[in-house]
Amino acid sequence: MAYKLTVNGRATEVDVAPDTPLLWVLRDHLGLTGTKYGCGGGFCGACTVHVDGTATRSCQLPVSSLANSEISTIENLAPRHPELVDAWVGNNVAQCGYCQAGQLMSAAALLDRKPKPSDADIDAAMAGNICRCGAYVRIRASIHQAAERRSAGGNA
Amino acid sequence: MLGACLPVRANTPQRPLAVGTLEPNLFLALEADGTVRVTAHRSEMGQGIRTALAQIVADELDADWSRVQVDQAPGDAKYGDQNTDGSRSIRSNYDRLRSAGATARLMLRQAAAKIWQVPIAEVVAANHEVSHAPSGRRLGYGELAGEAAALPVPEKAPIKGDAEHRFIGKEAVHVDAAAIARGEGTFGADFTLPNMATAVVVRCPWLGGGVRNLVNPPSEQPGLVGIEILEPSASAGPVFTPLGGAAVIAEDTYTAIRIARDLDIEWTDSPNHSFDSNQSQQSLRAALQEPGTPVPNSEKGDVDAAFAAGGSELEATYETPFLAHAPMEPPVAVADVRKDSCVVHATVQDPQAARGLVADWLQMPLENVAVTPTLLGGAFGRKSKPDFVLEAVELSKRLKRPVRVQWLREDDIRHDYFHAASAQYHRAVVDDRGHPSAWLQRTAFPSITTVFAAQASQPAQWELGMGFSNLPYAVPNQRMESAGIRPGVRVGWLRSVCNIFHAFSANVFADEMAALAGRDAIEHRLEILPEGGKLSVPGSQPPKGHELDIGRLRHVIERVRALSEWGRPRPEGVGLGFAVHHSFYSYVATVLEARVTNGRPTVSNAYVVLDCGTYINPDTCRAQMEGAVVFGLSLALHGEIGMESGAVVQSNFHDYPMLRMAQAPATTVELVPAQGRLPAGVGEPGVPPVAPALVNALYAATGTRYRTLPIKA
Repeated sequence: MAYKLTVNGRATEVDVAPDTPLLWVLRDHLGLTGTKYGCGGGFCGACTVHVDGTATRSCQLPVSSLANSEISTIENLAPRHPELVDAWVGNNVAQCGYCQAGQLMSAAALLDRKPKPSDADIDAAMAGNICRCGAYVRIRASIHQAAERRSAGGNA
Repeated sequence: MLGACLPVRANTPQRPLAVGTLEPNLFLALEADGTVRVTAHRSEMGQGIRTALAQIVADELDADWSRVQVDQAPGDAKYGDQNTDGSRSIRSNYDRLRSAGATARLMLRQAAAKIWQVPIAEVVAANHEVSHAPSGRRLGYGELAGEAAALPVPEKAPIKGDAEHRFIGKEAVHVDAAAIARGEGTFGADFTLPNMATAVVVRCPWLGGGVRNLVNPPSEQPGLVGIEILEPSASAGPVFTPLGGAAVIAEDTYTAIRIARDLDIEWTDSPNHSFDSNQSQQSLRAALQEPGTPVPNSEKGDVDAAFAAGGSELEATYETPFLAHAPMEPPVAVADVRKDSCVVHATVQDPQAARGLVADWLQMPLENVAVTPTLLGGAFGRKSKPDFVLEAVELSKRLKRPVRVQWLREDDIRHDYFHAASAQYHRAVVDDRGHPSAWLQRTAFPSITTVFAAQASQPAQWELGMGFSNLPYAVPNQRMESAGIRPGVRVGWLRSVCNIFHAFSANVFADEMAALAGRDAIEHRLEILPEGGKLSVPGSQPPKGHELDIGRLRHVIERVRALSEWGRPRPEGVGLGFAVHHSFYSYVATVLEARVTNGRPTVSNAYVVLDCGTYINPDTCRAQMEGAVVFGLSLALHGEIGMESGAVVQSNFHDYPMLRMAQAPATTVELVPAQGRLPAGVGEPGVPPVAPALVNALYAATGTRYRTLPIKA
């Protein structure tokens, strides 16, 4: 079946089975490989994207449910959240890096919602994202740092 | 004003300079445009090795860091060992990479001296430029590359003193950090080839079983390329050959997943079908009741006489379960097998070994096979075993097109090379200060060697050397014994390997000695260590300069005592726990601050002191310690793989959980200054002290001693 999608502001069309998860549409059909497969069960958050601004596990979303949705992926994050990406790079957050697209997308959705998150806000917003390398302390610090720079820059 | 002070740039030589690339060795190439390409021959799995290798070369080359790029080497014996495990990339390559950079720098100076007709002693290389101060002449590295390339490569080049280092020992942002943060890093599943198909393999739940019958296999479907049966290995051990199963090959990943999920398969039997991890754990416990195989030459004094003499006796049994590696990216390999060639891009820790196995598998000359690592997406030891590469190779050979094999998370958890389950028995006689006069320790676990040989069952000496036979304490009467079993699953090395359970039991038992005598755990530990000197380990002698140095061990203990403010009273219900371990020639002491809240252990703070000798990127070292704390807490609190009827019970992160953000403690890391010492391990040594430090902290907090992992409070 053909499905019309809006991904990173661009309208596109894919011809796939209706139950195909958004994750595989992005990766295999649209060539957007920044979004990662980690578990296929919504447990790890590696596949996190924004659907209408909300951090969502793309491995759990059948393409048939996305007709009128705005989808945003890691490939489009740096222009929207330069402070976050800069903090991630400057603080050497990534170790293996495989989970980081998902971590960044969850962090960005948090900052969109709560420009100055507390530690408890971060714990809650990031609870769905596993980092097997254990970069959590740097993820936390970088979210705080990005929040400060963003508000200092008047972008909040 | 500033501009007026700049020396005149007088770089116009008598004749036009040769334009070219200086490539004096395997590890660096200097292009005419000044770009330095460093070749990383070790795999990147999060330990920052691509950055660290480049830092070493760039430092000795005196390069401008912003002009350094890193290329990934394919597997090739010309690079020497490429097996990225054992926390040894820097240890094994520090000297040769310094030499690689220094050689190029010397050649650039030689070229400039020749062009300018001046003595080389007057020619200085700094920050991507060679200059001659007396005449004010300068030439950029790129400008000199072609001229330098025409010179003979010197056999020896002077390397810098430690004080002259600009990148070695200094923080650097990882070379892949920006690409990763933009979703542009190429991990295993991100690599594609034209006309590539994707395969998902359904493997037999028990080791050694194969497909007997495919019940009602799906007929033609859109996107389905085919279903291929892979035979299980018939070799002496599982080694690194494919497990066998039914491979669903499709034009896209999800079609393969969907069809694979619905396959109905009857499997052939194997002796491993009856394997049960509870029973094997019972066997390990039973083995500890009997005298085991003594570690050769390890006995000191007379343990039996010391026990017979009586005194305050302490005994305890510790147990740890099977663990899965669960790297965030499951194993992935892309293979393109042609008539006379094979190209592989895969998440491999050892591309050279994978290349050899692929060549053997295809009966193809080695030089016709190319295996290049992608970013590994985490590995922790799993991806040094390239069974998944051979799956992709076999399928590409059969389908005559490129094939990617994508392991699902369920495949990864169920069909791992599991970290061995284990049990240890410790018995000691202690005096009123908690000092042991006799110490008997037994360990039992399925050896990794069982993967390679059908007859193997006993722990290997190198496995016992991981925290068992090299116990550093001063005990007049001591004996060490081991026992093994053959497991019905594949076992393999996981980040810090046998150090995990040996450091666990020894550190908790030492804490129990202190507790029995009512002593401070750190004070007691410093007392039961020798005063100083180097530990002599029965049966194995580490490389020179890497002997276990008691002074360095004592130092990290003293530093973590200060760092954690060990003596500062904590609130009621909060406990501090301490552990220390020497592994991969590094020294790590860890203190955790923990409590039990609503029946759950929580860790608020971690303090880690690392002495790894000379280090390259201190920020990477800190990150590895932070990550090791999380890795160690995951295994201490959650990690458990069980097998019933040969099949792994767990399947994904819901039943094989990992630590998450809210459970990650604030972590403070202190690095012991390099002091010109040899570089030692960083990726693994942070893990072993974590679980025992947690158990000791929970004892301090609650009075309950957890001797079995994972902790069930």
